[in-house]
Amino acid sequence: MIEPASLSDFFTIFFASAMVILLGALYALLFAYARIRTVRWLMPLAYLSYAGLFVSTLVLAQAANLLSHPLWATVVGCMLLGYLLAPHGIWHLCVGTHARAETVPAKSS
Amino acid sequence: MATPGICDSANLNGGQKLAVKYFIVAITLFGAQVLFGMLAGLQYLYPDFLYGVLDFSVNRMVHINALVVWMLYGFLGSVYWLLEEESQHEVVGLKLGNLIFWVLTAAVTVVVLVYLFVQIGPGKESSIWLINEGREYIEAPRWADIGIVVSVLVVFFNVAATFSKGRYTGIAGVLVLDMLALFGIYLAGMFYTTNISIDQYWWWWVIHLWVEATWEVMVACIMAYGLMKVLGVRRKIVETWLYIEVALMFGSGILGLGHHYFWIGTPEYWFSIGGFFSALEPIPLVAMVVHAVFDAGARHAKNSNHPTMAWLIAHAFGNFFGAGVWGFMHTLPQINLYTHGTQWSASHGHLAFFGAYATIIIAMFYLAVQKWRGDVWMSGELPGNGWKWKWSLGLLNLGMVGMTMSMLVSGYVQSQIERAIEGSSWIGYFAAQGHPWFVQGMWWRELFGVMFTLGFVLLVWDLMTIGRGEKRVLVPAALDE
Repeated sequence: MIEPASLSDFFTIFFASAMVILLGALYALLFAYARIRTVRWLMPLAYLSYAGLFVSTLVLAQAANLLSHPLWATVVGCMLLGYLLAPHGIWHLCVGTHARAETVPAKSS
Repeated sequence: MATPGICDSANLNGGQKLAVKYFIVAITLFGAQVLFGMLAGLQYLYPDFLYGVLDFSVNRMVHINALVVWMLYGFLGSVYWLLEEESQHEVVGLKLGNLIFWVLTAAVTVVVLVYLFVQIGPGKESSIWLINEGREYIEAPRWADIGIVVSVLVVFFNVAATFSKGRYTGIAGVLVLDMLALFGIYLAGMFYTTNISIDQYWWWWVIHLWVEATWEVMVACIMAYGLMKVLGVRRKIVETWLYIEVALMFGSGILGLGHHYFWIGTPEYWFSIGGFFSALEPIPLVAMVVHAVFDAGARHAKNSNHPTMAWLIAHAFGNFFGAGVWGFMHTLPQINLYTHGTQWSASHGHLAFFGAYATIIIAMFYLAVQKWRGDVWMSGELPGNGWKWKWSLGLLNLGMVGMTMSMLVSGYVQSQIERAIEGSSWIGYFAAQGHPWFVQGMWWRELFGVMFTLGFVLLVWDLMTIGRGEKRVLVPAALDE
């Protein structure tokens, strides 16, 4: 069911895990800022952050032996999809919930 | 309205008068938590310190129990604080609520005194009932357990009855159900089984589900109320987002419980459940970043109470780093095998509890002081440029981050030497505890603990003095940028 991480991969796992969350937050931050301020050039940076998250997730998956078992490979897939789509979903919710109550910032690209 | 700048109960409604009592006990217990934490930290450095007088096991127990209880008091106080304003009705059964406050406080005092004066003794059935139940973090004897359940039931009655007679808002609906869960889940930690795996299975219901379900929901309700009060966010938006956040938290948080079931003898499928939901738990936190940016962009963060606003921001960051980053770094079973129960866990626990809960309760303290002093001005241009609240905010947060990083270093050594190399043996345990990096981490933890303590002292001083003699009153239309 699980293949424990090897000693030499400890630091890689801690670092890659932290990067997953931090780059996830950076992606969400840049994504939201690019849309609310209509700053188009920030959007590529947002997706660059996501690309960093993608790489970090794969590094984590490799170091924590996640890809050798279908279940854990599915977890990796869900993480990648979840982090990619969550900011989009929340943005739509923001627009929807604020629309009736107050002026909604313009959406770009 | 009484004279502004003076703490006068005439400024408060019935529920808020009771809330202030809860807040005063909460901050007293916060002080006890800090004191016993510092003593326990010293015992890591000098194991003979207070040995036989105030043993490490007792120090640690009081440190953690004080944490749980002061936060519970903070939450109950916050509920009473918003109850009348939210329901637009006087608190139903307020006298009973007041009585229960005194009963609960007396019980807490007795429990702590028993912890301190009866540190060792035979483990009999009567010990469970009268001295110590022996369950980590919820050691209170069974008579006190029953008292806690009765107290929460009375609060539930106050809340449910008041909302049912007054205005029943979205916050009210979530809060009433949450109070019911707060009472119900605690029952899971009150029965004893001879099988340690089964015992731990139910014990985690209290520890995890209180913290990552009922407390999180309560925080969401308090945050919703706080945003309306401080930023003037409209109710419709706040309540819609309350539902969304509760759904997101429950979606990943409830079965995230599985990450506590990895190593207690539960079936293997908990690896899958715990790993899967734990991996998804930070996604709502990351997604909330979008909402925060959206809201900040929409209203330019105008606010009427700078200390409260600063602590709400500290809450957002603390929750994200403490629960999100620090949690995810060691949540997958492939690595948790080595980190579980080491200083890694302590590092995560310190930052997560402080970031997610202490911060928002402190924000409520400032909100309460403002109204208690007659809705005085607490935005920009405070006397002394508000140095006390700013320094206490800085010292408490830096102290906590420093302690977290120190324990991270110690935990890293511990997970490598004690767990991975020596296979969780006694030899490994002592080899790790004596390793220079571990010891240095403990020293740094204590030093940052001193910084945290100074921040706490300043916080208390500030809460006692902020707004004193202030003649300017809050004008809702003139919110400070």
